Amino acid sequence: MESILGVIGGFINNIGSTIVLPVILTVVGLILGMKFTKAVRSGLMIAVAFVGIFLTVGLLGENMGTLGNAFAEKTGTGLDVIDIGWPAAAAIAFGTPVGNAIIPIGIIINLVLLVLGLTKTLDIDVWNFWHQAFIGSVVAFITGSVGLGLIAAAVNVVMALFLADWSQPLIEKYFKLPGISFPHLQSAGYMLLAAPFAALLKKVPFLSKMSLNPDTIRKRLGILGEPIFLGLFIGILLAAFAGQDVPGILTTGIDIAAVMVLIPRMVSLLVEGLTPVADAARKFMTKKFPGREFFIGLDSAVLIGSPAVIASGLLMIPVEIGIALLLAPLGNRTLPFIDLADGVFVTAMIAPLVAGDVLLTVIVSGIVMGIGMIFTTLLSPAVTSMVAAAGSVDIPVGYSNFTVMSDAAIPHAYAFYYIFQNPVWVALIISAVLLVGQYILTKKFPMGKKIFKIEEEAK
Amino acid sequence: MKKVYLVCASGIATSSMLRVKIEEFFEEKGIDAMVTQFRIAELSPDRIDADVIVATTSIPPEIEENFHCINGLPFLTGVGEEEAFNQLEEALK
Repeated sequence: MESILGVIGGFINNIGSTIVLPVILTVVGLILGMKFTKAVRSGLMIAVAFVGIFLTVGLLGENMGTLGNAFAEKTGTGLDVIDIGWPAAAAIAFGTPVGNAIIPIGIIINLVLLVLGLTKTLDIDVWNFWHQAFIGSVVAFITGSVGLGLIAAAVNVVMALFLADWSQPLIEKYFKLPGISFPHLQSAGYMLLAAPFAALLKKVPFLSKMSLNPDTIRKRLGILGEPIFLGLFIGILLAAFAGQDVPGILTTGIDIAAVMVLIPRMVSLLVEGLTPVADAARKFMTKKFPGREFFIGLDSAVLIGSPAVIASGLLMIPVEIGIALLLAPLGNRTLPFIDLADGVFVTAMIAPLVAGDVLLTVIVSGIVMGIGMIFTTLLSPAVTSMVAAAGSVDIPVGYSNFTVMSDAAIPHAYAFYYIFQNPVWVALIISAVLLVGQYILTKKFPMGKKIFKIEEEAK
Repeated sequence: MKKVYLVCASGIATSSMLRVKIEEFFEEKGIDAMVTQFRIAELSPDRIDADVIVATTSIPPEIEENFHCINGLPFLTGVGEEEAFNQLEEALK
């Protein structure tokens, strides 16, 4: 009975998200000065992208749900929570009520903080507000209140700006990228947890002596960088361990390869629809602050070409699988999956903390993701309900089949999910304390200046 | 027809942003070119068939040395965008 209600609720929610966000963004576009037809075209493209994404998410949901359980049962590992990957999670997060409102909210908060002089970052990467929407959505799930979800998302908009300001001097020196910063939680969100481990491990003499050559690793493991092959390999392995017969194994391999290729294609349509609005937002925001010096906030994708980031990102594929298995007895149920393809977003802002040492980057990222997998397991009921709503997937009651490694592993996601289970005033006070704490850290201990100093010649 | 590769970390986000702007530019200028998006990790020098590569991130040296590469950052930030468009047009002549 409850499952039927869930499906109906999901159906209504699904209709809502394909219409509400496009309408909101068309209006935002018009306010920002876009031409009418261009704004409408953008909105329509977003709606079309949603239709495509949720179709493929449905495919993922149907195929993966039972596979995870079979894998957990047959192998005795208990890893039954499947990672749906960030491209699907982005669309799902934008499709929630919190996600529908996040772009105007994010822009307004950023402008207010710039006026007040509390941040130097002008975040023009409105696409990546989905990370804050994701955190807000898990809070909305646990509290049952969209309002609290929006508050949590707003708090994290501020948090991301502070994290971007905090890391900016280090990122500028390490990647030689002046004038930009990265309020992108999919990378910056790991820094707070990674920093103490990085500082500690850098002091271990034998670790820093074993240097791995990033170029060799990139060339050797390059094939794993292609989602179509990674999907095929992982699908076949998973199906084999789940005890499927040979035709089943091959079909699953192709299905996963399809999911890993198709969802990103659909998501790029969403980005295409969003780009003209983002561009209008950028022009609007930069016009508001002529002559002011600020850092332009971008997607951490910009950092990923760095050899140490790519190499350590590829090494994260086996490392994450190993950690998941090791941590299974300690309560991990997350089976790393689609996000294995994008370990680079984890390593992007951890590499500069250890001056680009590949081994140290992998170790620190491994620790962060190990802790993260406990979070992803704990957040799986929230993510599962979001997947069910978005893809109209029928998931039996009591199952928590899905999570998203990239985002549920960000410490802030679980922290706010936990904090908002308290009475509202307690949650608000703790949120305020965390923001003030991050602000003090940003002002008093800027990375690359006070801490994690980089010698000028080091690359 | 000329071939343009747009390269970013995932082949999804920043390369799609470039695609929208660059395709609009091509339409305006009447440039006939095929635009394809790629992930940085899947680029391999022996399989590249492009007249110009626009990347939002740094490109491995073995590719940068052998192909015409343009920095895609100006298209994202808007700073130096015009010059980047000129570079692109020049490269496709």
